This record gives sequence, C-alpha cells and structure tokens, in this order.
Amino acid sequence: MTAISVSTTITSGRRQLVNARQRSLLIAKRRVLLLLLLFALIALCALMRIALLGFLEPAAAQARSAAEALLPERGDIVDRNGVPLARAFNAYALWYNPDALGGGSPLVNTPEQVAAALVRIFPDMDKKDLTERLAAGKPTYLRRRILPEDANRIHALGEPALEFPRENERFYPQGSMAAHVLGFVSADGKGRVGMEEVFDKQLTDPLTRGKPAVISIDSRVQGALEDELGRGMYESQAKGAAGIVLDVDTGEVLALASLPAFNPNRLEKSDARNIFNRVTNQVYELGSTFKPITVAAALDAGTVKDLGHRYQASRPLAIGGFLIRDSHALGATLNVPETLIHSSNIVTAQIADELGGEKLKATMQSLGFNERPYIELPARGFPIWRKGKWARITTMTVSYGHGIAVTPLHLATAYATLVNGGVWRPATLMKVEPGHAPAGRRVFKAATSARMRQLLRMIVVHGTGRKADAPGFRIGGKTGSAEKPGEGGGYRQSVLVSTFAAAFPMDRPRYVVIAMLDEPKGTAATSYQRTAAWNAAPVVGRVVPRIGPLLGVMPDETRDVDITDLKPLIPGEASGGGGGE
Amino acid sequence: MNLTRDRLQSIGWAFILTVCFGLTVALTFRVNAVKSEVQLAERQVIALKKEKLFLETEFEARANQQQLTALNDVEFGYEAPTAEQYIEGERQLALLGKPRAPDAPAPIRVANAGPGAGQGSFPVMVSPLTGKSLAKEVESAQATAKGEKLAAVNPDELGALLAHIERGEVGHE
Repeated sequence: MTAISVSTTITSGRRQLVNARQRSLLIAKRRVLLLLLLFALIALCALMRIALLGFLEPAAAQARSAAEALLPERGDIVDRNGVPLARAFNAYALWYNPDALGGGSPLVNTPEQVAAALVRIFPDMDKKDLTERLAAGKPTYLRRRILPEDANRIHALGEPALEFPRENERFYPQGSMAAHVLGFVSADGKGRVGMEEVFDKQLTDPLTRGKPAVISIDSRVQGALEDELGRGMYESQAKGAAGIVLDVDTGEVLALASLPAFNPNRLEKSDARNIFNRVTNQVYELGSTFKPITVAAALDAGTVKDLGHRYQASRPLAIGGFLIRDSHALGATLNVPETLIHSSNIVTAQIADELGGEKLKATMQSLGFNERPYIELPARGFPIWRKGKWARITTMTVSYGHGIAVTPLHLATAYATLVNGGVWRPATLMKVEPGHAPAGRRVFKAATSARMRQLLRMIVVHGTGRKADAPGFRIGGKTGSAEKPGEGGGYRQSVLVSTFAAAFPMDRPRYVVIAMLDEPKGTAATSYQRTAAWNAAPVVGRVVPRIGPLLGVMPDETRDVDITDLKPLIPGEASGGGGGE
Repeated sequence: MNLTRDRLQSIGWAFILTVCFGLTVALTFRVNAVKSEVQLAERQVIALKKEKLFLETEFEARANQQQLTALNDVEFGYEAPTAEQYIEGERQLALLGKPRAPDAPAPIRVANAGPGAGQGSFPVMVSPLTGKSLAKEVESAQATAKGEKLAAVNPDELGALLAHIERGEVGHE
C-alpha cells in the first residue's frame, strides 16, 4: 500500500515536474515572442520616424515656410536690367490702440503731453486735433507712414497705446520716374493707370507674384529722357512735355515720359491732372513731322520719281477757300530734299496732291493712325481721324500734319517704320527676347526706307534740326511746330506744339527718340523762338549722347549714312553749312 | 537567486532593449534639437533677407536717378563723354601703343622730382665750421676725448668739440 502510494507520489511528482517544465517553457517562448514583437514594433516605429524625419517633414516644412515668408504681398516690377521700379515694402504706421494698457486711462501721460511730444517729432501735425483724437479713446491711425527713426523716437516716449505696426505698402524707389508707365496702387489694393493695372492679376496671384514682372523700360534711359525733357520744358516755359525712346526693330519702349509727372509714393489731389499720359492718351496735330511720311508714301507709290524735280514754292496754294502757305518765303522753287530741309507746307501739299488722298490715307492707316496706339497701357487715346473719302484739301493739310491728330506714340512707331526698312511693329512695354520680335507688317519698301534715312539725316545736317546734331551719333529727324486749334475753330498762331522726331544712328537705325513740348514760350534760353528747332531739337541733341553709349551706340565721327548722291540737290546748303562732310 | 541561462538571456535582451530604446529617445531628442536649430537659423535667414530688402530699397530710394542728377548738378558737373573721347576700334587703340616715329613731335612730359644720381635719401648735416659731415666729426671728437682728456686741444678739432658740446646742451634742454 505504502509502496503503491509512494510510487504514485513519485509518478505524480514527476508529472508535476514535467508539467512545470512545459509551462515554464511555454512562458519563456511567449516572453521571447512578446520581446520579439516589441522589438519589431520599436524598430518599425524608429524606422518610420527616421523616414518621416528624413524624407518628408523638413524639406517640405522649410521650403514652404521660407517661400511663404519671403513671398511679397504684391509682386515687384523691375526694368529690363532688373532694377526694381515698384516693390512691396513693409513700412511703419502710427496706430493708436487705447486698449493696450487693458482698461483705465489709455495713456500714461495726459493727451496734451503726448500730443505735444508727437508734434515735436512730426512738426506738421496739428496739436489740438491730435489731443482731441487721443482723448476720444477710439482706435485710429494717427499717421499712415512714419520713418524707422521716427518709430524709435515714438518708442522712447514710453506710451504703450502708440503702436507702430508694419504694414505692407507699395513703394517706388525711383520716385516720380516712369510714373505714367508704372501707375500706382489705390487704397483698395488694385493697380491703377499703368503697368500696375495691366499686371494686376499676375502681381497678386500667389503662384506668380514671387517672380518680378519685367518691363521693357531701361531706367537709365528713362532718367536721362525725363531729365532733359524737364530741362527743355523749364527753359521754354512749356505747359507740358512728352518723350519716348523706342527700339525700331522690336517695338520695345525703352523710355516713356510725360511731364509734369506725379509721385506714385505720395499722390495728392493736385496730381489728378498730371496722371493723364501725354504720350499715349493725348492726341495732337503733330505738324511738319508728318512731312517725311508723306514724302515716303509718294516715293513708295512712285509719284515722286525724281528727287530733283522742282515744285513751285513762292505762291500760297488756294484750295477750297483755304490758303496753304509757308511761315516765310523759301524761294521760287524747291526740290524734295529742300522741301524737307526747309519744311515747306506748299510743296508737301503739292506732293500729296500728286499722290492722291486714297494712297496717303492707306499709308496712314497701315501706320495705325486710324486706331488707338498699340501699347499695353490702359490709357490710349483715339486719334482724330477723317473717315470716308478724303477731300483734296484734307489730303493736302494732312500731308503736313494738320487735320488729323495722333498721339506721340503713333508718331514714334511711324518713324520706326520709316527708318527700320519699312516694317511697322506695335509698340510694347514688355521686354522682347532677342529673336522674338513680332513680324509686323510692311508699309514701305526697303529702298524707300533707305532713302528716308538719307533725307532725315540731311534735315539734321543742313536743315531745321541742326541743334539736334550731336557729334558722332548720326542723328536724323524732323522738326514739327504745329499751331494748336482754338476753342472756336481755326488755329491759334502763338500757341504751338513743338515736336522733334528723330532716329539714330542713321547708318543703321536702332532707336527712335521723340521730344514734344506743349505750348512752349519764347525765352532767352530758346533765343526767343517757339519753334521745335529751338526747343525740342536741342532736347534730342542732349538726350542722345547720354543714352547712346548706354544702349550700345558709340559715337563715331568717321561713320555716317552716305548722302553724297543727294548733296548736289542742295548746292547752297552743302557749301554753306555742311561742315565736316 | 540562481541565474539560469534562460534568465540571463532574457535579462540580456531586456538590457539591449532598454539601451536601444534609450538610444532611440536620445536620437529623437538630438534630431529635434537640430531641427529647431535649423528652424531658428531659417527664421534668422528670413529676417536677414527681409532686412536686406529693406536696406536695399532704402539705398535705392536715397540713390535714385533724380537724387543723383541733383547731386551731380551741384557737386560734380559730370557730362556725357563726347565723340572724341571714344576709341572706335582696336586699330585706334593699338595706335596709342606704337613707338614714336623719328619726325613725330615730342610727347608732353610731366614734371617729376625724383631722386637725383648722387643724392642719398636724406641730406647730410654739415658742420658750419669745418664744412664736413657732422657725424664723422663727432666720432673723431669722442675718440680724442677718450685718449687725451683735453690735455692738449688741437685747434683743428676745437670746432668739432664745440659742436659736440652744443649738441649735448641742446639735448639736455
């Protein structure tokens, strides 16, 4: 019994041992499994974290934050060389926040004391008004724009209620330069007048505003043109002035100035009149500057076959009760080069009469004189254009620049067509990449254009444009002094629009320069003359030497367009005033 | 406590696990630290870029075309160069470097006061009595003083001695 019981205890004990071993093995296995799972989990976590850190987060976060932080509220506008002309800029404003101290009196000192301290910093502010506004305790702007040093001085006053938040502002570093091209941004954040309006969508779109908008203006050329036009305007006491520099091969506008200008940084009520753009919006009867166009049309049509043909110039032409006359007697007869050199209305009218109204009208139309000028600016004036069949008198008056009125920009594109080989291209304020100039349309034959270069150069060497002849720059051009129409019909003899339309260098024209003065007066500086030869031509003569070398046209007195074949046609001039030829 | 092999193994695993976990935590901390450093640096970069833009704009506004023209009109009066001031090609430039032809006019010479042939760098001070260099005389006077102690004064050397004494007095003053 005991043996059996012993044996059973032994067997049961063994079984228990086996069971315990199995159990502990199982536990151990489970633990290992758990451990492995834990390891795997941690490894997975670590891997995922590393992957997250390494690949996704930093690059995305950094790129986004940096790009966002530096993205301007409104994109910049730069000139063709990358000089910023309009820029988003964080300026300080002076804001009165009465709740800054959290209840009680908003100011540490009395409103009178604070107002007095502010007037010391800004002497133009009104102390009484300021005291009232501070005492009223309403949040308001005390001043929209303050300088950083003024912000520091206000900070030194120790008034927490005077805050100077940095606000986004449109800033034009060049001040009033190219104001009509750029325009301004109104209080509602919309671009107005110039390229600010044209580029409005591009400049405000978050996708595109990071990249500055490039325009074709060259700020150096623009500066020189405005400077010299301003001088010309001042010297002749003119009411206004307009100027343009245009690339003859691409139609790019390198400078466009309308004076008096305005400062887009600081618009005032009195600027409203000056915002009007004289170059693209105002139409003028541009007078004698049309004569080369008439002559070119006649050469092109073949009605003038011989430049030496002489037309009568002594008697005024009486057409339909209207008398076409010259400003002074120019001799009994004149040939074509002499007509342009002396600017004879009588002979130009005869040339146009031979050509016929239809052909002259067709030429003017293909030069775009019957539609608004081609340019991106929103302000484009519609020419005063004669529709239908032109009467004989219309043809004759249009031939010397009266009867139709166009903008100076129309004239610039027409002159570019005259000298560039005869191809009309629209003017543009967008930078044209080399080789991407528009094809344009042919208006004159290349031979006509070559002849016109000679004739325009002769006007400057021997004729009315002598004061524009900057040595070495081979300028060619035509003066125009048109009488302005009076209020009650007819023309006012003493009120002129003086224009000089030029191109340079004439042996291979690159740029057209137009200078126009509105209502110049005879002053000592202009030898008491009002005509373009005395005020507009010298402006071009001073502008070209300043801009030529910047634009890659070096002065060279050993080169010029060859005018020897036309020299015998102007015997008196060639021997008298043609020095150096 | 008996450390079986299994138990040791599991302790080992636990240890490794702890170490790995610790390393992971440390790495994460480090990564976060670097990340915030990068962010800080980035914020500084942005602030500096904005500052640069601000200064650049200020500079451009102060040095705009109209300001420069006004400054030039008042201060300098520079004008655009004229046609004669340009060299139109390599040929004309090369002409400037050609040796002078025999019949060519003499080139304009600019006055120059360079050191002459026999001159030293600095004129030597001469005794007004002997007409000799002062430094040499002083040397010889010192040699004399050492040897004879003014026993016999050579009249020839008196001048030198006087000069020496005078010089000493001046020095004391």
